[in-house]
Amino acid sequence: MPDKQNKGNRNLLSWLTSMRFAIYLLILVGAVSALGTIIPQGQSPAFYLYTYGNGTGAVINLLSLGNLYQAWWFSLLMLILGLTILICSFQRLRHARSLATVGSLVFHLSIVVILSGAAWSLGYARSAMVEVAEQQTVALADYGFGSGQLTLHSFVIDYYPDLQPRQYISDISLTGYEQGDHHLKINVNNPLRAGNLKIYQSNWGWMLKIKLTTNGCSTQVVDVKDYDVFPLGSGEDNAIRVVFLPDYAEDQHGAFSRTSQPNAPCLGLSLLQSGRAVDMALMAPGEEAQMGQYSFTFEDFSYYSGLQLKYDPGVTLVFAGFILLLLGLLGRYWRLLFSREGD
Amino acid sequence: MAEKLFMVTFVMLVLAVLINLARLWLPVSWLDKAAPLPMYLTAACLLVILAWRTADLGRLPLANMYEFSVFMVFVILLGYFFIRRSLTAVEFDLAVSLLLTLLFAMLASLPSDLRPLMPALQSRWLTAHVATAIMAYSAFAIAFCLGIIYLSRTNQEDPSLKVIDRQVYRLVVWGFVLLTLAIITGAVWAEEVWGNWWSWDPKETWSLVTWVVYAAYLHARRTKEWRGRRSAWLVVIGFLVVLFTLYGVSILLPGLHSYA
Repeated sequence: MPDKQNKGNRNLLSWLTSMRFAIYLLILVGAVSALGTIIPQGQSPAFYLYTYGNGTGAVINLLSLGNLYQAWWFSLLMLILGLTILICSFQRLRHARSLATVGSLVFHLSIVVILSGAAWSLGYARSAMVEVAEQQTVALADYGFGSGQLTLHSFVIDYYPDLQPRQYISDISLTGYEQGDHHLKINVNNPLRAGNLKIYQSNWGWMLKIKLTTNGCSTQVVDVKDYDVFPLGSGEDNAIRVVFLPDYAEDQHGAFSRTSQPNAPCLGLSLLQSGRAVDMALMAPGEEAQMGQYSFTFEDFSYYSGLQLKYDPGVTLVFAGFILLLLGLLGRYWRLLFSREGD
Repeated sequence: MAEKLFMVTFVMLVLAVLINLARLWLPVSWLDKAAPLPMYLTAACLLVILAWRTADLGRLPLANMYEFSVFMVFVILLGYFFIRRSLTAVEFDLAVSLLLTLLFAMLASLPSDLRPLMPALQSRWLTAHVATAIMAYSAFAIAFCLGIIYLSRTNQEDPSLKVIDRQVYRLVVWGFVLLTLAIITGAVWAEEVWGNWWSWDPKETWSLVTWVVYAAYLHARRTKEWRGRRSAWLVVIGFLVVLFTLYGVSILLPGLHSYA
């Protein structure tokens, strides 16, 4: 009986480490990944219950299918796939004599390398979105990135003749960071690299400078981002919301911006009480508006640049895996690809 | 002028389909000789269309679905001419001309206006990523046509089956290598533009699904029970997945590739 059981265990083990199992697992990964493109990702549990009904919705929530690629069992699936490929490869190690078999081995091991890089990133990668106004300096430590200061010297939008944006360019410098000082004009597709830290041009917007006077005496100048709500800080639940129209125009539907270029700048400012708009004004630069106990002056406007900070030590391993993957693939199929008779 | 050239190309493709259909019932030699002619003319027209667009844009036309599809029809044609040197079969001519006619007809529904490159597309990786994807999908398209022919031949002793199976295998290997390159160049590019080499964007995910299907084919072909008709089915299914990745995802599942 124990012999039979041992044999059974051995059979199971050899099946679990067979190429066939690895293929089934790979197909399962493919099918599960596809499922994640059909079920909308990253919604609240209530969304799935509402959209798919109580039964299916509950299953989606239970299995984290709404956050499928981040689910623990998805990572486990990848881990098992990696281990199976690793074991399969070791079993074939002694047969690796020809270019094709060595290529095949390198190809399969490179998948393990890529998965390891991805796991490393999963554990250690950090990213943060930093919105910096022109001439502003921020400390990286505020975003969890160690020592160093990031300054935005200028931000420029380059346009095509038809006013479609051609490129977004931030002139930035990074000082006091572990890899030394950097000064670079970055744009979309051209990030700043300092070791494993990269800084990407991500988005942009308007920063509006407003002078705020309360009860005719206390005065402060504040920077508010376009579309942001800024609490006024007095006991009542008062706040302002600002909307910037860089190229102001009016038609029967109301005010709008003709282009995104500041040809006729105008600030729309609403006073909110408990979240509800109670008053509003349109101001050109330098103009002042009085609302209740407050007086607002639209002092100035400038760009802010949305910069993404990313620290990812796993990427190097992933890219090394990519190179191995290609070399392995070429080795495996070299004869078939490049000789007349094939392999 | 470009529209007229498009019309001529379409007429040539329809003509090719009609000639190849006629060849099935009328095995006369002059029809066989005439068959490749409209395909050559189609290739010539497409070359002019692509050269024209390249001159207008000042770059290779590889930036949206329309440009991708025109290029793909052209590359499938080149692949077809290459395969045809060693494999002459009426069904193959018919299958390729029919597929190209359908792909070309679909172009009419895609926006074809000349647009400048948005910032995310201004990259040295654009050409490498898109060109490898086009070549991979073209190889899979031709393998699909051959797979259909394989499945349509019911006599398992037919010696031509072995030749077809061999060609399918070579095409899938080429396609697989090129698709791997397309995915890798896409990943490296994504890392450079968004800071993420993989984001499970629908197009990305479905290209991985395509990759898995063809990886399954390459493994299945090595086992006894999957050789032959079963693996031919995988090639047919594989191309349906390609079509979904290419067009289905863009229409049904918007994501990072939504401009394409």
